[in-house]
This record gives sequence, C-alpha cells and structure tokens, in this order.
Amino acid sequence: MKALVTGANGFLGRHVVGALLARGVEVRALVRPAARLEGLGWPSSVEVFRADLRTSRELLAAFDGIDLLVHLAAVVSGGEDVQFAGTVAGTERLLEAMAKSSCRRLILCGTFSVYDFSSTRRTLDENAPRHQVPDLYSRDGYTIAKWWQERVSRRFAEQHGWDLTVLRPGFIWGRDHAYLSALGVQFGRHYLVIGPMTRMPLTHVENCADVFALAAVDPRARGQTLNVVDGPGERIWRYLSDYMRGVGESGWRLPVPYWFAISVVRLAYATVFRRATKVPLILIPRAMESRLKPLHFENQKLRTTLDWSPPLDYQQCLARTYGPATAPGATKQ
Amino acid sequence: MKAALIGAGQIARQHLSCLKTLPGVELAAVCDLSPATAEAAAERYGIRTWFTDHRAMLEKVRPDVVHITTPATSHFALAMDSFDAGSNVVVEKPATSTLEELEKLVRRAQECGRHLIEDHNYVFNHAPQEILRRVGTGEFGAVTHVEVLICLDILGPSGFADPNSPHPALTLAGGAIADFLPHLASLAHVFVGPHRSAQTVWTKRKPSPLPFDEFRALVDAERGTATLGFSASSQPDAFWVRVYGEQMQATANLFETRLTLDGPRNVPKPLRPFFSGLEEGKTIRRAALATLLGKFKGPGAYQGLWELLARTYQALANGSPPPVTESHVLEVNRMVEALKPRQQRP
Repeated sequence: MKALVTGANGFLGRHVVGALLARGVEVRALVRPAARLEGLGWPSSVEVFRADLRTSRELLAAFDGIDLLVHLAAVVSGGEDVQFAGTVAGTERLLEAMAKSSCRRLILCGTFSVYDFSSTRRTLDENAPRHQVPDLYSRDGYTIAKWWQERVSRRFAEQHGWDLTVLRPGFIWGRDHAYLSALGVQFGRHYLVIGPMTRMPLTHVENCADVFALAAVDPRARGQTLNVVDGPGERIWRYLSDYMRGVGESGWRLPVPYWFAISVVRLAYATVFRRATKVPLILIPRAMESRLKPLHFENQKLRTTLDWSPPLDYQQCLARTYGPATAPGATKQ
Repeated sequence: MKAALIGAGQIARQHLSCLKTLPGVELAAVCDLSPATAEAAAERYGIRTWFTDHRAMLEKVRPDVVHITTPATSHFALAMDSFDAGSNVVVEKPATSTLEELEKLVRRAQECGRHLIEDHNYVFNHAPQEILRRVGTGEFGAVTHVEVLICLDILGPSGFADPNSPHPALTLAGGAIADFLPHLASLAHVFVGPHRSAQTVWTKRKPSPLPFDEFRALVDAERGTATLGFSASSQPDAFWVRVYGEQMQATANLFETRLTLDGPRNVPKPLRPFFSGLEEGKTIRRAALATLLGKFKGPGAYQGLWELLARTYQALANGSPPPVTESHVLEVNRMVEALKPRQQRP
C-alpha cells in the first residue's frame, strides 16, 4: 500500500509519515516547494513531491501509484480568507486531481473545532452537534476553514464513491508544540487560568499519528468518523504545571472559576460588545466555550472500532515532549 | 439595483459587507473559480445564487453593477465581459495590468454607456475628505504639496513574499509595490491634479522574491508637487499623508483615524508651537481611542471603500457621475504608469 501524505513535514505530518512507515505503508510526502526537510530523518524510501495546493497545476502526478490519500494539510495562520483559500480551495484542487486518478481512499484530518460546544451537554463525542450555517460564519477563520474542508471532502467522497475516514483530533501536543490555547490568558510569565480543573481533549502527537497509521491499514476505519483523544484528558492546572516545568518557565497562575469567567464574558458581550463585529475571541462566549467549556471527552468509538489504545501514557508523553529528543515515528507499538 | 461580485476571497469581504448595508442594493450573485469559496460567500452574505463561471452569471443575473475583486491580471477580460453584459463595473486597483488595457476598457465603457469605477478607497477615508472639505471652503488655502508614504511589512513568508506560491502582483511592473501605486497616485491626484512629470527611485534593501521593496517618487503635477513612497522596511506599519496648504497643513495616518491640522492661531507667535502641541496631543488621544473602538466594529481602515461604494450606488441610482469618473481613473493610471520602473530589477 502506498499513501500520499499532504502536510507531511508539519507537526503532525512528520509523525504520521513515521507511523505509516512503521506499519509497512509506503509514503509519498507532499510538501510545499520551499519546505526544508533537513532534520526530519525520513529514510530514502520516502518519496517527496513538491507542490503548493493553492497554485500548483500538476497535482494529478502526485497520485501516480497511490492507494490512499492522508490529507493533513491546512493553513493555520493568517487571516480568515487566507486560511479559507489555503485550506478549502487547496483541498478542492487536491481532490479534483484525486478524482482523475485511481485512488479511492481518503483519510482526512478534521478537528474538534467543527463541534458546537455551546449546544453540547456533558459529553462531547462523535454525535455532538456540529456548527450550523449561518452561525458558522461568526466563528474564527480556522473553524470555518476546517468545517468547510470536511464538507468539501464528504461531497467529493459521496460523488465519487470513495472510502472516507474523518479523524477529528482534539488538542494535539508534543515537542515544541506544548502550549495550548486552553491554558488561559497569558500576561508575560503569568497566567490567568480559566476553569483550572477542566479536562482538555488531548492527544499527544505520536499517539495521534498512530491512529492515522492504524486507520490507513485497518479496513474497519472505512466510512468512519472518529474523534481522536488519548483518554478523558488532563486537567488544565496540571498540564500547565507540567508545561511550565518542562519549558523552564516560572510565573504565577491565577485560577478563575469557569462559571465566573463565562458569566463576565456573556455580560460584556450582551452589553458592551453586542453590536461589535470584530471582538477578540476570548471575549466571544461561543469562542470561549469551544476552548474551555467543561465537558467529558470520549474516545470510546475509536477504541471499539479500531481496538485502539494510546501507545504512550501521559508520563511517557511528558518525557517525549520535554525530555531528550527522539526521531519521529519511534513510537513503540 | 442588482450587484454581483467576481472573486470572493480577500478584499471581496469588504465589498460584500458594505453592499449588505446599502439601501436599495440587492446582492444578486457571487462568482469564484472555487465552488466552496463562492458558496461560502453566498451563505455568509445571504446571496441567492453563486457561480464558478462569470459569463454564466452575467447572462443569468444581468447585474447593474459588477464588482471585480480578482487578481489584477484578470481584471481586463472580466470587465470587458461585464460591459458587454450591460453592467457598470467597480474594479479593485490596479484596474488593469497595463495602461493600454485601461484605455481600451474606458473606450468600451463609454461605447456601452456604462461606468468604470476603480477602487481609490483611501481618497474617501475621513481624513482626506476632511482636508478636501477645508480646501473647498478656502480655510486650508491652495494645496502646494502632498506627501504620501506607505510603510508596510510585505516581506513576511505569507502574502507577497510567499516562497511557495508566487503572488500574482509580482508579475506587475514594480512587483508587489505596483499593487500600492494606485493608492499613492490617487491621493496625489486628488490634491494636486494630473501629473506632468515624475522622477522615481526603485531599490531593494532585503533579500526576498520581490523585485523591489523600496520606492520613492517626486511628482510635478498641475496644481502642485507630490512626494510618494513605499517602504517595506520601515516599521511600524503606517500610511502617512501630509498635505501642505497656503494657510494650513494636515497630517494623517490612514491606517488609523489620526488627523491633525495646524493653521492660523490667534495667539502671539512665540506661543504658537505651545498651543499647537497641546491641540495636537488632544487630537491624537481622541484618534487613538477612536482607532481602538474601530477595531471592534466597522470597516476600520477600509472606511473609504464603504464611503466610495455608498456614493457610487447613490450616483448610479440618480444618474449622476460617480465619485470616481473614467477621466479620474485614466489620469491616476497615467501617473501610475509614470511611476513604474523601467526594468523589473534594481
């Protein structure tokens, strides 16, 4: 089996490449023309295909001999329009090329951001409500672009009869990417921690990559939509303590109960910012809920569908993140 | 009036947001080569239909006004097709890649009895309009000189200097800076009129895919002089306009709401700087607050675009000349042509 992996040199992608190789899947890595690949430690068996999904005209050639597309690429910085153009229009171009090829299998990297946290009660699993149009367009650029990327992928899959698997990771963390937006509001070295006892939907990048590789080889993944979290998640307070210790930060942490913070934000939004159109995300109740609402996060469907359990436990993840570096894909099975 | 838009990314958002607020304007259709981009814009702005083929849209919708917000190299063909469909055209700057194309476009507009309006949005920001108002009342005196300097970091890895995906503007003479020449020229034109001659300096300070990252020009115009500039290295980002009149001087930063004016003052001459400084400080503090509040609501630095579109639709509805006429567009772009570099490398 040979997989085309987009975003292959990204934070998740480099680990997915390693995990696929570990499961005996050949890899063609699609990376941008100016991407630097030194230090990734890829073996010579990894083919590199350089293209930019936004503009390249020769995407069809990337699918030569490919059985499976693992689509991880997304634009995660820049303005809303930049993210939409890169993530959504880029996906359209990629899937148009795939439709002309013999490849019939697609694994898409989705996100928890497609879920409407505000309407979700207690447990967030694959059945939780998703954002609806037109409310979707009041959300941040990342959410809109990823929501649309999944919509476009599902349409293509339906139209062409492809086997689609959508994997929706929670907060992906790991070496050099351990800071998470849920950690609170940072003032210099100090943190205002909102809802310190809230559990976060975490997946360590190596565990997450393992799910992608497993989904590639396990036929039970076909047609499935699966949330990817390692377990019920660590509490914000503990994760932040580990983070500060791990990166050598010293500073104060001021805990604020979630119910108090969301009440203040709701009041401010209803009065001061009610008619404002460009409010920082932390001051928008729905955006705050999507980062911080205390919910129970389930990975039961992932565990039962693919018999998956995370290869690394939290302590091992901490060691991988803050301890001596190891090569991507070195996850023990 | 029925409005339609071609090119639903980036600046299109400002056009669509504004059109939603204009009385008597129906957003009838949106078109983009990317189906998702077109459909998302239609959903977001409550537009009934979306297309991926602009000719199909023009034929089916027959809009009164077509907004063209695609990369500059596509403007000419899209505008020609829009005129052929009987529409007026609001086109993002630069209106065309070359002056020859623009002259053809203006001829076609006149043959069709339609208007071509290039987006000279910064001319319609509050500050230039306030200065023009004071010029009109005689309070400012005749304008003798205008300085316009844009300081903008366009060398970051995304946007114009993206090493992975060459920006369409890089094909224009002058590269990315050419995208800003209509702003500089339209502001010079509105204060000192059509140019007679121009001397330019195009340079490159830092390594990047851009052919140039610094530009300066001295323009001799019919009613005065202008110095125009663009700096990709000077920080922070700013859009300075300084206008010198026979009785007053004005300074504005068009990325903010700051406008300070200095003119005759009924105090002894030695005390003038003191009172001028006090008033300037007060004005800047107020502008800082307005700029901050503007970040929460409204078009921000694009206020001029909203004003231009409002006046344009009003004029089209009344059958009066639009706020940017074809002769303005031609004169501004003749100045732009004079500002362009003779070769594409320093």
